[in-house]
Amino acid sequence: MVNPVLLLAVPLGLAFCVPLFGMASRRAASFVPAIAALFNVVVAIRLLPEAIEEPIVVCLGGFSAPFSIVLFAGPLGLLLAALVALAGFVIAIYAVRYIDTGAITKYHTLYVLLLVGATGVVLTGDIFNLFVFFEILCISSYALVAYLGDRGGLEASAKYLIQGAVGSGLLLLGIGMVYGLTGTLNMAGIAERIGAVPSVPALVSLALIVVGLGVEAAIFPLNAWLPDAHSSAPSTISAILSGIAIEVGLYAVARMVFTVFGATDMLFFLVFLGVLTVLVGELCALAQSNIKRMLAYSSIGQIGLILFAVSLASSEAVAGGLFQLISHTLSKVVLFLAVGYMILRSGSKEISSLEGMGQQMPLTSLAFAVAAFSLVGLPPFAGFPSKFMIVRAAVAEQEVIFLVLVAVVLVATVIEGAYFFRVVQSLYFKRGEKQAVRQEAPSSALIPIFVVVVLIIVFGFYPDAVVRVLEPAASDLVRSTDYIRSVLG
Amino acid sequence: MSFLQDYAYYIGAFGLVFIGLLIVLVQHNLIKVIIGVSIFDTGINLFLIAVGYIRNGTAPIFSRAGLEPGAMVDPVPQALVLTSIVIGVAVLALALGIAVRLYREYGTLDLRKIRELRW
Repeated sequence: MVNPVLLLAVPLGLAFCVPLFGMASRRAASFVPAIAALFNVVVAIRLLPEAIEEPIVVCLGGFSAPFSIVLFAGPLGLLLAALVALAGFVIAIYAVRYIDTGAITKYHTLYVLLLVGATGVVLTGDIFNLFVFFEILCISSYALVAYLGDRGGLEASAKYLIQGAVGSGLLLLGIGMVYGLTGTLNMAGIAERIGAVPSVPALVSLALIVVGLGVEAAIFPLNAWLPDAHSSAPSTISAILSGIAIEVGLYAVARMVFTVFGATDMLFFLVFLGVLTVLVGELCALAQSNIKRMLAYSSIGQIGLILFAVSLASSEAVAGGLFQLISHTLSKVVLFLAVGYMILRSGSKEISSLEGMGQQMPLTSLAFAVAAFSLVGLPPFAGFPSKFMIVRAAVAEQEVIFLVLVAVVLVATVIEGAYFFRVVQSLYFKRGEKQAVRQEAPSSALIPIFVVVVLIIVFGFYPDAVVRVLEPAASDLVRSTDYIRSVLG
Repeated sequence: MSFLQDYAYYIGAFGLVFIGLLIVLVQHNLIKVIIGVSIFDTGINLFLIAVGYIRNGTAPIFSRAGLEPGAMVDPVPQALVLTSIVIGVAVLALALGIAVRLYREYGTLDLRKIRELRW
């Protein structure tokens, strides 16, 4: 058995080796993130079957559970770690050619650190450790948003940094309160003792933690930074932020609410927030003329949908939400990566400048169209079974209020369809002014994009391949007694 | 009087937190906003220390004879604060670095004038 610690230790070690490789050759440095991510994909997928049988708990430093930092490699943690590594790998391959200006070695160091932070958040079983990994994720993303050093990037990075710093401050305040109330930082230990704590202080600390994490997860109304940051960053960074960073934030929120605090009375509030986030995200996306801002707002909408599904708290709804999370990650990675070279070729981020791209870059446009259709939820792509699971689970609640909310969510999906079809239409059915010269993206970009496109189609045809893993992952999240038992014995 | 004695640290800590948040919300100069974030962090660190503090407590080192567990300060929050200070410094350094670059690009640090990105 491979130790899950390696999922963190190997990339972290490689991250600080990037400058050393960079001294030998800049080209060698740019392959390090891909190696680190590939290692994580292999290890996480190899560990996954074992974790489904029995969650792997590793006590760091050799002390027993409540006194040491615990890594909890359950089905959910490893599934998300594999997803992080997969998206990270694909984007790293793309970045080898795409990132060719500026401080390249620093970019790759920060990129690996971002992946380490995301992996750490999903694997840790210690609430303060979660904060530390979260900060690694956030600080590297603040710097990467400003990587291009242009006006927009710097402004977006400053906004993101200020809001993120306040958010993580609130998170730390909440963690301090929880420690004061329960006397432990171990998530399972807190879950065990939180029942005996007076309800008002427990609620205040949960609220602080959810608000703190909610800034990173872009839950409405804490998402003002997202459209700026995602649209001004280099496309590879937009892809990783949209595909990984906000999902990891959402995972942390769900882990806190379900497993650690067991706060089932707060769930309806989160369902409501989720629906609100969907509506705000999709309506703002409809109004955009900048393609990257449109994709950024669409991420907000998708996060709202995932939050809505997960907060319904039935095991089918949580599984549907996690499926939606996976399909969103796959689609958004393809969309941002495809758009990256379209913007490079056309020289503008306006949707109108993408007219005629269907002739100019047929393969890239095809990938964009597949990912967009999957995100909207058309069969036979991965977005269809995930949205279908969510709707079926929400209808199974058999309460009028949920039916109304599902109707709202479906309306939002129609809006989503409207703006994505508009872009696909201008890619294929409108002629650009200039004569279309076939000028495809390089194969170093097309190969990673099409790897993900194939996955989107495979998961669309065989959703069972994912659902089999999702069911244990959902119960890992929802059943906090099992979690406590596997950590504390 | 005893209320103040018992809760002075918490009042101080939350006072700093609120002062910091207020600065972040109302100031328009980026440097002042960054100072606000720094004060906010300091308040949180003080709060964490106060959680584990015992009046007249001492370090939990067991080599000294006759030391009661009740007379020892909880070391965990102090370790947390050490980490949190390091993280705070990193964020502060990055924020100031971005402020320098922003000033070079725009010639001002007034957040009302730094507004390229609109929706």
